[in-house]
Amino acid sequence: MDEAAESIAAAPLPTAKTLRARRSLPKQAIRFVAFNLKMLRMVAKGHH
Amino acid sequence: MARVVILGAGISGHTAALYLKRSLRKKHEVVVVSPAANYNWIPSNIWVGVGRMDERQVKFPLRPVYDRKGIEFHQALGVALRPHGDADDPRGAVDIVYTDPDRSGETARLRYDYLINATGPKLNFQATPGLGPDANSLSVCTADHATKTAAAFAALIEEMRAGEHKRLVIGVGHGGCTCEGAAFEYTFNVEHELRQAGVRDQAEIIYLTNEYELGDFGVGGMAFDQQGFVSNSKLWTESLFRERGVKAIVRAHVQRVDPGVIHYEQLDGTTGELTFDFAMLLPPFRGVDLKAYDRAGGDISDEVFAPNGFMRVDADYSPKPYEEWSAADWPSTYQSVVADNVFGVGIAFAPPHPISRPRTSPSGTVISPAPPRTGMPSGVMGRTVAGSISRRIRQGASAELGTASMASMGAACIASAGTGLRDGSAAAMTMYPIVPDRARFPESGRDLRATSGEIGLAGHWTKLMLHYLFIYKAKARPFWHLIPE
Repeated sequence: MDEAAESIAAAPLPTAKTLRARRSLPKQAIRFVAFNLKMLRMVAKGHH
Repeated sequence: MARVVILGAGISGHTAALYLKRSLRKKHEVVVVSPAANYNWIPSNIWVGVGRMDERQVKFPLRPVYDRKGIEFHQALGVALRPHGDADDPRGAVDIVYTDPDRSGETARLRYDYLINATGPKLNFQATPGLGPDANSLSVCTADHATKTAAAFAALIEEMRAGEHKRLVIGVGHGGCTCEGAAFEYTFNVEHELRQAGVRDQAEIIYLTNEYELGDFGVGGMAFDQQGFVSNSKLWTESLFRERGVKAIVRAHVQRVDPGVIHYEQLDGTTGELTFDFAMLLPPFRGVDLKAYDRAGGDISDEVFAPNGFMRVDADYSPKPYEEWSAADWPSTYQSVVADNVFGVGIAFAPPHPISRPRTSPSGTVISPAPPRTGMPSGVMGRTVAGSISRRIRQGASAELGTASMASMGAACIASAGTGLRDGSAAAMTMYPIVPDRARFPESGRDLRATSGEIGLAGHWTKLMLHYLFIYKAKARPFWHLIPE
């Protein structure tokens, strides 16, 4: 197995809880708002 | 009355044109020159490439928007800059050749008081023999390419439904490419679609990249705070590859693409051959084919443009080793080195050097990413330069220029990993600053509080929302200017 394949094989996998959270409508609604606020803060900070 | 000419109507040029016209109103002229009749929201081309969007959803005609806004539009290709004018007139000028079907091939010389070069990339498929949709591999760089790729992908799925096994290779087609994020997006959209089609088990998907390690994305990777630990984008990206069963070949330069076979060299000097049933490989970029001449008609292209064809601006282009790279090397006003009324923005400006560490193979092949100039910073540059020019026109030549260095600007990059309002996902990243600044942030070059990565359905909703928002903005619909870059 080459280095890239070994590295991928050793990478952490998400837990079942994480996988559910990625598809959970309530949790992702919160993440949607949070990420967009983060982008807006970045835009406000970066425009000069 | 002043006249501002903008070459290019992509994210940078079109943004600049709309803001300039809004600021200058009817008193001054804003002129756009673009060889394409349509605006293309490029970030969504990958969805066209897997058949999830139609070409018409990512494009719209430019002329009606420009007519409505009072912007003069020439559907033409810029071929030469004359920043100091010509024998008849010292005013700067640009030579154009019309691509408008009504006057195809006609030429003109447009005078300007200010010029913005926002011509974007030349898709340099020729850099790799056999690369590209006119040869032996597919592309999603334009909406047209993506439509053809979607057809090939659909045909492949049908063959797999009939029981065949296929190898799909997706990535970059040259050691000096950029846009690894786009290749990553297309890889995981393909993977998602194959699962949706019920044929994932019959597919081997290989991501072929010039990155030293996964998660580099041409920005040298990122450090993330993951639940109180300093993690990195390598681990984060490799996790997704493992989760979705996608293989990777890194540190690779594609030497040649024959029908069904990719020939590549790796950083350690080894070579390999990879057979494929489906290959989507992005081309390297260079600047568009623009020449530059002085008043007497002497060729000054080498002064105006770097060897890669991008326009030299207010960057530090002195050759220096990686260890001496500095955030201060990067431009901030985007003024041309030869004329203070000429600007180069978006992909068209010449970066001082890459962001990722440069590497070459024992045979001297460069195998490391060129620096990306993505949508958000390109839009910001366009808007900033529009503001600079507007102030100079209204207040005089000593009015302050706006600044938008990539070393003091952040970016949000949302890499789709599959569509679907319920089943989709995206890898949503933020980074600040885009170009690492180790003087300000000694540990990782970036602010850990503002540099992050997360994967989930919300990322897909965000990317889809941005698709609609930015097309609304580009069409200059009511209150378009309230949508930030």
